[in-house]
Amino acid sequence: MPIKTWELDPNFRNEIMNEPGGEHLASCFQCSTCTLGCPITEIVPSYNPRKIIQMSLLGMREEVLSNPDLWICLICQTCTARCPQDVVVSDVLGAIRRIAEKEEEEGKLKIESPRPLFDKAFLHQLEKYGRLYDIGLAKEYYPKKEGSFIKGMRAMMKDYKDFGMRMFKKGKMGPKAILPEKIKRTGEVKKIFEKIGD
Amino acid sequence: MNGRKLAYYPGCPSAGTAMDQDMSTRAVFEKLGIELAEVEDWNCCGAAEAENPILVYALNARTLAIAEKEGLDIVTPCSICYYNLERSNIALKEDEGLRAKMKEIDSSLDYRGGIKARHILDVFINEIGIDELKSKIVKKVNIKVAPYYGCYIGRPPTTAFDDPDDPILMDQLIELIGGECVDFSYMKTKCCGGPLMMTRADIAFEMAKKVLEAAKRAGADCIALACPLCGMMLDAKQPDIEKALNIEIGMPVIYITQLLGLALGIDSKKLGLDKAAVDTKEIVGKVV
Repeated sequence: MPIKTWELDPNFRNEIMNEPGGEHLASCFQCSTCTLGCPITEIVPSYNPRKIIQMSLLGMREEVLSNPDLWICLICQTCTARCPQDVVVSDVLGAIRRIAEKEEEEGKLKIESPRPLFDKAFLHQLEKYGRLYDIGLAKEYYPKKEGSFIKGMRAMMKDYKDFGMRMFKKGKMGPKAILPEKIKRTGEVKKIFEKIGD
Repeated sequence: MNGRKLAYYPGCPSAGTAMDQDMSTRAVFEKLGIELAEVEDWNCCGAAEAENPILVYALNARTLAIAEKEGLDIVTPCSICYYNLERSNIALKEDEGLRAKMKEIDSSLDYRGGIKARHILDVFINEIGIDELKSKIVKKVNIKVAPYYGCYIGRPPTTAFDDPDDPILMDQLIELIGGECVDFSYMKTKCCGGPLMMTRADIAFEMAKKVLEAAKRAGADCIALACPLCGMMLDAKQPDIEKALNIEIGMPVIYITQLLGLALGIDSKKLGLDKAAVDTKEIVGKVV
């Protein structure tokens, strides 16, 4: 479908470049090295970071922010390492994801991927304990992802029953992993989240 | 490295899924006569889930500042922790304004840029060195190994300490302990899929399968690695991957610290080798 030029948002590129990590977006000259080396593209052929960057530069704000492919980047840094223009592609995509999350918080966008929920649930553990607490993370993430506590617990059991038993038998799910490992000065980490947000 | 002492950052998985990596790291450094002083009250590095760089810098400024007070460089066995600690270190060192911003958030983030964060692989080869390691090796680990590096050892370029396409540090250690590296170059630095485990397990499993099958095809007795997330994907999740994709793999996955520990004559239990999901007895049996 042709691009509707009157729907483009010329400021979108600046919005991305003002976000930490998005600074080098405009250096891209569309060589496609990022996409050719991407391990996700190998599995999901439609996944195309070059295209996401070009659409961003053109100002196709809505299409970019609602693109479900934004959420299957592994942040493996292969694109960043190979980019001849130092676009720092991994970080640019991260900046775009954060803009999408803000849009969702403001009620302007619905993100289908559960990844923002997962990232938030992860960071909430750090905010509370200073370290990751796996069980706390699962207890927050699954119900949110599935839409209810019961459904969440069922999905968690399905994913983790065998795994949990396996870890328990090998002594990797001892008391140390069942209870959160809380740092002493949690207040210092809380302050970070208060002032920066997640 | 300040004398024979380093600040140690175990990382969150050290309490659970990667306790074997933590055990073997501590045991190996003890055997090498290098003291690891755990960073007092360290906090999580933000892993792959903290996407805002400023948040990552703040989280790691706190840990760096604690180690800096002791005047010690930080060493960590986790590739993701290493990446976050060192990229924060670089950003903070270079940018006075950023340091001031951190201090404004809380005085505990007052890091002055006086230390470095390092990955264990980097410390083994570039700090302790092959010669010293060689002098302490008492056993031969006579196995075929697929050296798997994953993401944050050779990239991104700002923090990398090995080649992005064909890294060699782990290969050197494997050869040093009497092992043989199988032809695995094309797979060495491919991502294990770990970051998508909880949100797109289908893709994550496909990625892990590629690594596991490549090692099997190359005739490896085991995969060696240096990252707890890779460890979780390739070992702890291996039975789940086999079941979901209806394949059979049975590939032992061993942390490089465990292999090195075996060659240094450390007991396999002390190295946590009995904690792997895929049995490692056969590997331990090949130590002579």
